[in-house]
Amino acid sequence: MAKWGMVIDLDKCTGCQACTTACGMENNTLPGENWQDVLFYSEGEYPSGQMKWLPRPCMQCEDPSCVHVCPTRATYKDMNAGGIVFVDWNKCIGCKYCMIACPYGVRFYADEKPLVEPDLKNIFPGENGQLWSPPYQGPDEDWRRGIGVQPKGVVSKCTFCYHRVSKAPEGVADLDEDDPELVEFVPACVRTCPPKARYFGDLDNPQSNVNRLIGNKRGVRLRDETGNRPQVYYLGAGAGVPAFQRRERS
Amino acid sequence: MNVLKALMTRRRFLQVSGAAGVAGAGAAKLVGFTAATSTPKTAGAQARGQTRVTKNICHQCPARCGINVYTTNGRVHAIYGDPGNPIANGKLCPKGHLGTYFLYDPDRFKGPMRRTNPRKGRNEDPGWEPITWEQAYDEIAGRINELRKNGESHKFAHFYGRGWGPSDAGLYGAWGQLIGTPNSAIGHASMCAEGSKRAKAATDGNNSYNAYDYRNTNCMLIFGAGFLEAFRPYNKIMQDWGHMRSKSPKTRVTTIDVRMNPTMAASDRYLMTKPGTDGAIALAIAHLMLTEGLWEKDFVGDFRDGRNRFRAGQTVRAFEFEEKWTHGLVDWWNNELKDRTPSWAESVTGVPAREIIEVAREFGTTRPAMAIMERGPTAHTNGVYNGMAIHALNALSGCMFAKGGLFYQMGPSYGPGPANPADYMDDIANEMRGKYPRIDMARTERWPFTAHMMQESARNHNAGDPYKLKMAMFFSTNPIWTAPDAPEWEKMLSEIFVIDTSPFPGETAMFADIVLPESTYLERLQDSPTYPFEGWPMTALRVPAIDPIYDTTEFGNMMIEIGKRIEGPTGEYYRRIDSVENLLRHIARGFADNPGDNGVNDFESWKEKGVWYRKPYHWRQHRGVFYEWDGEGYNRVMSEEEVKEKLIKTASGKFEFKSSHLEGHADYIQRELGIPSARVGYPQWVEPKHTGGNRPLHFVTPKTPLTAEGRSGNIPHAIAIQQPIVGGNDRTYLEVHPQTARDRGIRDGDRVRIRSDLGTIEAYVRFVPQHRPDTIVLPYEHGHWAQGRWATGQGRDRTPGNPNEITANVSDPISGLACYYTGKVDLERA
Amino acid sequence: MNDGNVMKGGAGTGLLVISLLVMVASFGYAASSLATHGHAAFNASSNVPWGQPISTYLYFALASSGLGLLAAIPLVFRVKAYYPIAKRCIFLAFIVLVSGMAVLAMELGHTFRMLWAIPFGMQVQSAMFWMGVLYLLDLLFLMWKFQRLEGKDWDSKAARQIGIASFLGVLLASGNLALIFGMMSMRPFWFDGSLPIYFYLTGIASGMAALVFYTYLAYGFKREAMPEPLQRLLTGNLPVLFAALLGVTLLFVLVRMVTGLYSNMPEVSLVWSDYILASPVYHLSLWGGLLLPFLLLLSPNLRVQSGVQVLCSVLVFAGLFAERYFFVVGGQVIPLFKGTWAWDIIHYTPSAAEWSLTFMGAAMIFVLYVLGEKYFNLSDSPVTTAAPETSRAATAGAGA
Repeated sequence: MAKWGMVIDLDKCTGCQACTTACGMENNTLPGENWQDVLFYSEGEYPSGQMKWLPRPCMQCEDPSCVHVCPTRATYKDMNAGGIVFVDWNKCIGCKYCMIACPYGVRFYADEKPLVEPDLKNIFPGENGQLWSPPYQGPDEDWRRGIGVQPKGVVSKCTFCYHRVSKAPEGVADLDEDDPELVEFVPACVRTCPPKARYFGDLDNPQSNVNRLIGNKRGVRLRDETGNRPQVYYLGAGAGVPAFQRRERS
Repeated sequence: MNVLKALMTRRRFLQVSGAAGVAGAGAAKLVGFTAATSTPKTAGAQARGQTRVTKNICHQCPARCGINVYTTNGRVHAIYGDPGNPIANGKLCPKGHLGTYFLYDPDRFKGPMRRTNPRKGRNEDPGWEPITWEQAYDEIAGRINELRKNGESHKFAHFYGRGWGPSDAGLYGAWGQLIGTPNSAIGHASMCAEGSKRAKAATDGNNSYNAYDYRNTNCMLIFGAGFLEAFRPYNKIMQDWGHMRSKSPKTRVTTIDVRMNPTMAASDRYLMTKPGTDGAIALAIAHLMLTEGLWEKDFVGDFRDGRNRFRAGQTVRAFEFEEKWTHGLVDWWNNELKDRTPSWAESVTGVPAREIIEVAREFGTTRPAMAIMERGPTAHTNGVYNGMAIHALNALSGCMFAKGGLFYQMGPSYGPGPANPADYMDDIANEMRGKYPRIDMARTERWPFTAHMMQESARNHNAGDPYKLKMAMFFSTNPIWTAPDAPEWEKMLSEIFVIDTSPFPGETAMFADIVLPESTYLERLQDSPTYPFEGWPMTALRVPAIDPIYDTTEFGNMMIEIGKRIEGPTGEYYRRIDSVENLLRHIARGFADNPGDNGVNDFESWKEKGVWYRKPYHWRQHRGVFYEWDGEGYNRVMSEEEVKEKLIKTASGKFEFKSSHLEGHADYIQRELGIPSARVGYPQWVEPKHTGGNRPLHFVTPKTPLTAEGRSGNIPHAIAIQQPIVGGNDRTYLEVHPQTARDRGIRDGDRVRIRSDLGTIEAYVRFVPQHRPDTIVLPYEHGHWAQGRWATGQGRDRTPGNPNEITANVSDPISGLACYYTGKVDLERA
Repeated sequence: MNDGNVMKGGAGTGLLVISLLVMVASFGYAASSLATHGHAAFNASSNVPWGQPISTYLYFALASSGLGLLAAIPLVFRVKAYYPIAKRCIFLAFIVLVSGMAVLAMELGHTFRMLWAIPFGMQVQSAMFWMGVLYLLDLLFLMWKFQRLEGKDWDSKAARQIGIASFLGVLLASGNLALIFGMMSMRPFWFDGSLPIYFYLTGIASGMAALVFYTYLAYGFKREAMPEPLQRLLTGNLPVLFAALLGVTLLFVLVRMVTGLYSNMPEVSLVWSDYILASPVYHLSLWGGLLLPFLLLLSPNLRVQSGVQVLCSVLVFAGLFAERYFFVVGGQVIPLFKGTWAWDIIHYTPSAAEWSLTFMGAAMIFVLYVLGEKYFNLSDSPVTTAAPETSRAATAGAGA
């Protein structure tokens, strides 16, 4: 089985957030429930201030702390699915311990106060056990892997678009959106990325393009000190997470 | 366990072979979801129904990205870039994916409606009453027939924003001709980006936006273009950006702008200049390129003896320099450029001279090198001169029509429409022809260089000069919110009969007498020739993904249906046009002789592929020689006359540093801008006249990547990621340098008032120490007071307020471009 | 015997009715909010996943553990002077834990699913799994122990073994509860191997406050109405122990504060400087809820006065509730990898629905407490019937 990994080249990324909206559309997430997000940071002052950004999917860690803490095994790392970390919505009890334990802040409890009001959950009320039932939801649903619109009271997260990836031919080294035979299997964020700053492939295959890129361009993992060992690698300048600092208030 | 394993493997095998089988059947068929339906249920995954993919083009900016629209069981659920579309190449910008939310926006108008409340105002409920399309068309046509009978057909005006092609805005020409109104139609171009077009008209004779060869350029100067936020085609630009920034050699990028933004942040270097002073930097770069001998001699020419005599402050004798494809270089130097040193520019812009010198040397020593611009430098009273100074750099670097340079857009090979309007003119139409000026006075002595002056319309109407309108129809524009001094429009729209055609509620609709809701773009049949892109011709087609979910239709059909009800031969003309589909079928016949590179040769194949295009661009300049494509390569050398006719369309046939176009109205420019008439032709420094006079702060209102043609204000998913720079995820915030705020006792998060000559709006503040202390920034999106439940939710209609309410209606006298970014304001705690 | 217990009479009935009303009303409010808004009724969010309901649960669970540990003084360590509080401690530990669990049940996304998903999951790596196991055991041992005491079995071998098991259960349950937080290296404010000790100390302090308060409440705040051995304990060792507990708790809080403030790490230092110490409520709870009672109890004259004891119990009750709240929320207020989307320290204040769960839990304790006082003899003690020498031995033991 492949070990799916993602590579994000920050020298090409323009911070446009197409990955975020593609993910939101593909996975029917609510505003603010950004399984895929782009985080902006700025430092310094005019005329030499800087601004940078980091696109952030779930890191699908090799040693995921969220999985260790889940009391019901609802969140699990599926080695038969390329090492993707899933939430089984049939088992999740909504204790949110995984959200505490994830160092990357990639888990969401959408059964919360809406970021943007009025609440879409009221505009498109949930049917058939769904938290909300928008008319534009996609056809795929697999609650055992956290795919589709979630029910109430559970944690949701990026699935590396498993409902797409899982249909890829076995043994493929890379899922490249420019290959017409593969484009439908590529995760939404990778497929749409206009500057082609994202790559998706098999980390267990030394021939894969993702491994070549990591090797050639000195790929790094974010917050590696956590020991979680992400399956997402970053290339280029700015692949560091600035420490939190308070903003000037006055 | 082994049995289980075997089952698992077998299942995966079935799954894969299913997918591969369908994939083999053809790329046009959707592989993924079809495979999903054949996946055994036991895998846990379920997919509901069969998925169909239709072609369309995005509607959220002018770029016209081809999209694949995914529909399952009659519901649209996904939009991805069309891999077969040369702009999209399978990719999309962040707006593109929001299309489904527009389609299913619960605030959409559900069918045609008539106003019952005669009073109009922001707080007046229009009292909508549903009517049939027949009733609506009959009433509108009846009123137009009445106007025509009374010799008042000029008092009917069309206003439009985003026009797409012959099947919508393309219908306006015939309409004006047949109905007998000069006001068909008043376009929004003067509230968009006319400045750059006029700068190019003045210098290279093309009144157009450029096509660009980004992929082959090695150096770029980006002047206030929002390149990685809002420049078009944004999606393709980002694709090219990925290429430019990883190719060999990597394209060096310098961004010149007035605020910290993603383009600056992603560039190799940025210069943060004072609003309206970009031209000064461009002039200093040109100055340095000349004094250091860095101009492209093959294109511009050289001193006869090869010795550079350009020295700061010293004139040069004209006969010593032999020009090739440019005109007036020495005059320009002697009359303007010799004094435009980098240190002079520092005194004007605040950007250190040494940084300008660095940029100039890099730009001058790298080929191909291009300088691009858009609204930032041009939305000021000196906009065209700023733009000319910037565009002059493209001549000096020799990138005009060169590989890695700039050129212009070719049109598609359309066939003729079903009827020729000239054959359907009646007496009224003939009599009204040329009788009255347009309501906006564009193309008159008042605005001699302009094509449209929409922002003048309400003011002129309210003053009764040249006359008062009686009736107006709006398509894809909302000037009552977007025009500078927006409240003027409320007055005008209160006095006349208004028809709005937006699919969504909006401020203009609040003042409408009849609403004819258009279908959203995913439900439309509509064509669209490309915006300037890579030069070669292209035209795309919107194919409805589903039948309209409400009682709506295409705007083109509305015009045709109203036209059919006009008395006399006009009605006959529109019966010949019949419908949008009939029109498109006619023009698509033009493809038969000119099949697209993707095999599109008629209406059906156009529908299937969504786009017709024919590469390559036909012309190229290489080392000072212009070549034309001969079918195999750029092999045919062009004569000077051919270049003048086809490419550099100035009076001299050369790139003019002394613009004959501007000199044609020298007195007008002298009167409006105070430039001596002998000097009006030069790209030059003109002090911008900021509205708001002595107020201390520049106020700029840029677009973010999520600004979707004015409609993302009611899209919750867009609101939630609208302004990442300061974490604006529930509204847009006013970005202020902390020192500027501190001086006024304003803390981060405070509510503030922004005051201009016209009034005040409010906003919440967030500190951005990376901005200029003299410039405050409010991204343009919220402040809509009638756009729907999310636009007005959580106070987004008031904080922030609509920046156009405090933007003075002042335009660049040459381009006519409204000076959106030239206002100066006060800031205080609310 | 127990004639002085006002809970057995009309006052108790009155309190029962009032607390029952509060419990039903707050439950009704929380339940209807949850039914109509889902968890949007809470201000806890994806950014602050654990809010006041969790800190309330934690507070009750640790108070229960504290009571269990106090009960161990007589029942495990045989300090016989503490016999008069043993049964009430066990009972209070039981009902406080039950109330805490009720609050937790209202907070979870899927409470009933938990009942099968945790045992079937057998995820032994998760401290949350062990929390379930150990608090269940704790609850069972408390019940069992109480049943023994109710049967007047104070001193049999089996009773002692159950006592020891219960004591260990309490230690493991609350220690494990601490590790739910303490093992989270990605949440440095909590990451601390000695956190169980902090939890034990604060747990016993809050348990002691509960014990003192409810003991006085049983006798209408009249110490003279109490059985004589109980009076002796309340004027003798118990307030000293109370003071000592507060002193050590204070020390621990201050040490955590100093190390936190000293740290360069914003996830720790800013929590202290810009969130916890920036809050007047925290200052009130620290100085008014821990230091003041500590000082009052230090004075040999003041600490024996019943008014002072009741006051201190109430102050400590409130102070440690706030301490728990700031501990739980403090671990989450520094945005974790959110960029500008979290513009500053994350702001969290409990919603009405979250407060209603706290009220519900508190009212539930009162309801169960009155019922307990009414139907059981919670002041029962072998001391009242024991020979004088036993009593002396107990005094000596406690003094040692």
